[in-house]
Amino acid sequence: MSKLEIHDILYKVEKPARYLGNELNSVHKQIDEKTVRFAFCFPDIYEIGMSHLGMQILYHLLNSQENVFCERVFSPAVDMEEEMRKNNIPLFGLESREAIKNFDFVGFTLQYELSYTNILNMLDLGEIPLFSKDRGENDPFVVVGGPCAYNPEPIADFCDIVLLGEGEELLVEIMEVYKQFKNTDYKRVEFLEKIASIQGVYIPAFYDVRYNEEGIIEAITPNNPNAPQKLTKRIIQNLDEVFYPEEILVPYINIVHDRVMLEVFRGCSRGCRFCQAGMIYRPVREKGFDRLKYLTEKLLSNTGYEEISLSSLSTSDYSNLDKLVRHLIDDYEKDKVGVSLPSLRLDNFTFELIQEIQKVRKTGLTFAPEAGSQRLRDVINKGVTEEDLTNAVEKAFDLGWSSVKLYFMIGLPTETLDDLDGIKELAFDVVGIYYQTDKEKRGKGLNVTVSASTFVPKPFTPFQWEPQDGLEEIYSKQRHLVEKLKRKNITFNYHDAKTSLLEGVFARGDRRLSKVLAEALKAGCKFDGWNEHFNFSRWMEVFQTCDVDPVFYANRRREYDEILPWEHIDVGVTKQFLIRENEKAKAGELTQDCRTDCSGCGVNHGFIGGIC
Amino acid sequence: MYKIRSRFTKKGDLIFISHLDLVRVFERAMRRANIPISYSQGFNPHPIMAFATALGVGVTSEAEYIDIQLDEKIELNDFIDRINAVMPDGLKIIKSKYIESTEDSLMAILKRSIYLVKVNLISELKEEFIIEQLSKFIDNEEIIEIKEKKKKNKDRYKRERNKVQETNIRPLINELMLFSVQGKELILKMNLVTGSVGNLKPETVMRKLEELTEIPMLLDSVRINRLELLKEQKGQFVELMEE
Repeated sequence: MSKLEIHDILYKVEKPARYLGNELNSVHKQIDEKTVRFAFCFPDIYEIGMSHLGMQILYHLLNSQENVFCERVFSPAVDMEEEMRKNNIPLFGLESREAIKNFDFVGFTLQYELSYTNILNMLDLGEIPLFSKDRGENDPFVVVGGPCAYNPEPIADFCDIVLLGEGEELLVEIMEVYKQFKNTDYKRVEFLEKIASIQGVYIPAFYDVRYNEEGIIEAITPNNPNAPQKLTKRIIQNLDEVFYPEEILVPYINIVHDRVMLEVFRGCSRGCRFCQAGMIYRPVREKGFDRLKYLTEKLLSNTGYEEISLSSLSTSDYSNLDKLVRHLIDDYEKDKVGVSLPSLRLDNFTFELIQEIQKVRKTGLTFAPEAGSQRLRDVINKGVTEEDLTNAVEKAFDLGWSSVKLYFMIGLPTETLDDLDGIKELAFDVVGIYYQTDKEKRGKGLNVTVSASTFVPKPFTPFQWEPQDGLEEIYSKQRHLVEKLKRKNITFNYHDAKTSLLEGVFARGDRRLSKVLAEALKAGCKFDGWNEHFNFSRWMEVFQTCDVDPVFYANRRREYDEILPWEHIDVGVTKQFLIRENEKAKAGELTQDCRTDCSGCGVNHGFIGGIC
Repeated sequence: MYKIRSRFTKKGDLIFISHLDLVRVFERAMRRANIPISYSQGFNPHPIMAFATALGVGVTSEAEYIDIQLDEKIELNDFIDRINAVMPDGLKIIKSKYIESTEDSLMAILKRSIYLVKVNLISELKEEFIIEQLSKFIDNEEIIEIKEKKKKNKDRYKRERNKVQETNIRPLINELMLFSVQGKELILKMNLVTGSVGNLKPETVMRKLEELTEIPMLLDSVRINRLELLKEQKGQFVELMEE
């Protein structure tokens, strides 16, 4: 393989440091005929991809393996892509600057449905055949994983291998099998058949999907004797023993999350009914204090970072949070290391801790009530009350904050205009609380930011059968809120409903959407998650050309007995549990936190064994 | 409180990181090297350090300078070794010395920069012709650089055009000479005003040369190497760390 010459084009593009590949703690290995080459591709630009903890973990994990060399690949920005195409430079691994079409594996992480066109564009730029069926014996295996891989059907035709669940053990097992095949005279299908029986491996080509006249799935059946009927995800049992990097890549340029990310636990016990992460990452597994203390010391000294963030789905639920934060402050305040705590909940919001952290660095305050009325918060099982919010905000203003962000979703199942008015009331209450706070104590210049995203029903949640609100409904709800929230000190932001529609189509889509994606690539769709690149009318033309109706996927109510595109995949929570939760949602009944009372989701049967 | 002044180089792939990126690289290198750096007060404490001037993205430099403030005094060689051990390839401290805290900042003393600028010619030219063209260029009393000033106020109802600023860059060119020409590769050496009194980039000089002389060149191929930064001392222009 030869190194591509990119030096001259680096003078012509914005932020050339995105493409250097020699950042602190990047890995550069000697390559010989035994080296298994893995391209870890993130289908978005460098600043987004480098902020992703999963990439940092798997990059260093793979590189810790003998004879495996993992390199990073991000979507080149539009200007770089243009230069690459002009100069016939195929997509390359940042570390070696060698074309990824000659690698053994090209892996994509699926974080967001709107990045699917970027995946196709990267394959195209990499000169790798788009469709799995068109790949030859010398082409790399295209492998995908990540949260969207739990319903990989819309992109299944482009993937050779789908990995379900947590990858730390699974990837290593696959590398081990592959080492036995590499440099032998094997057929692609033989390798795929060999790994098909490993738990967590899904080979889409080994399954056929049959549809009835209404376009609803009739059956999903294996067509290869090595393919299991039911596919189960992988899970890491012990988070203290699992691999975690002791050094992470430190970029030159400013990225979205430019700090040490320390994972404190996986899973979430809250059971919010809209939240896919809360369902698919079950059960809760924590890292112990001693392990985190050790990792912190290593990570800070190996990176020189000035900030550490405690990462999880709900960091205030970490059982050793108090002890950990105090340790971080006591040991690292002298080095001016800041601590940030994302994902705090209103009901167990620890102001004492926040105040401690303020000693070092000032952070912003964000609360996520998600819905405006208690009724709707009960429907989604959010489990926080208006009192939780007002208490938290009172304390915050008392301690000198003057700027608060409130996150909501609109388009939730059963939502009415009354629920939206609840958003207004909460926001106005916050303003009221500010003016009641002692002038001496509160900060100057009140700013309440209300953000409303559009709800998108996701697979493996209790709302997976629910129709998503149509564009017109969302527009009218947004207009309603714009009117209601016209007030000094309140800023109202809302999400573009069109991108949410597209997200909804692909979230619950099936294999027939692959032709839509291939057509979208031809039409020039890419970076759909970016406002400046997203072109809705072009997408609608593509759907029309392919004779596919987005309404069928996004806005249709499914029956409980309908075979869903992800029916053959088992993430641990049972269908019965999801149905029960959906029914409870309709009745406005709450489900307890799993740590208080087991809700019987099913993840403790077969996956982890016994109790969570 | 102690202050160390250092000279360093920026080469190889590292020329593609911006000035702000460079600041971060230094901050993190200090932490990894356990240098007892001083921090600013306030909510967002940051290491106290200051550079002489920002270097453009894509420009190589033999002569960059930084002042770093420390809480404890450490051996200079130790300081250099520890930082160089954690610096990425392409960044290297060449020399350091302690300076008085009352000493003028790098930014304040900086007056001139010396550059080598390489460019590809469209056709081969004789040395004499190039020298003649350069001296004609330099004989101009005025060389006007037109710069569009982007309006800060983005008022969509006002359809005024961006204001245009005209600057005479001739007084900012102290020296412009032929360094070498081999086939189609031309290298020029220039001494330009830099710092608080004025700032001229070699790219601008090249653009003007292309516009005003008969030297046909490919501006895309311009590659710049900063050789020296100079201060004024007793009527002489000398290197920034000269005693």
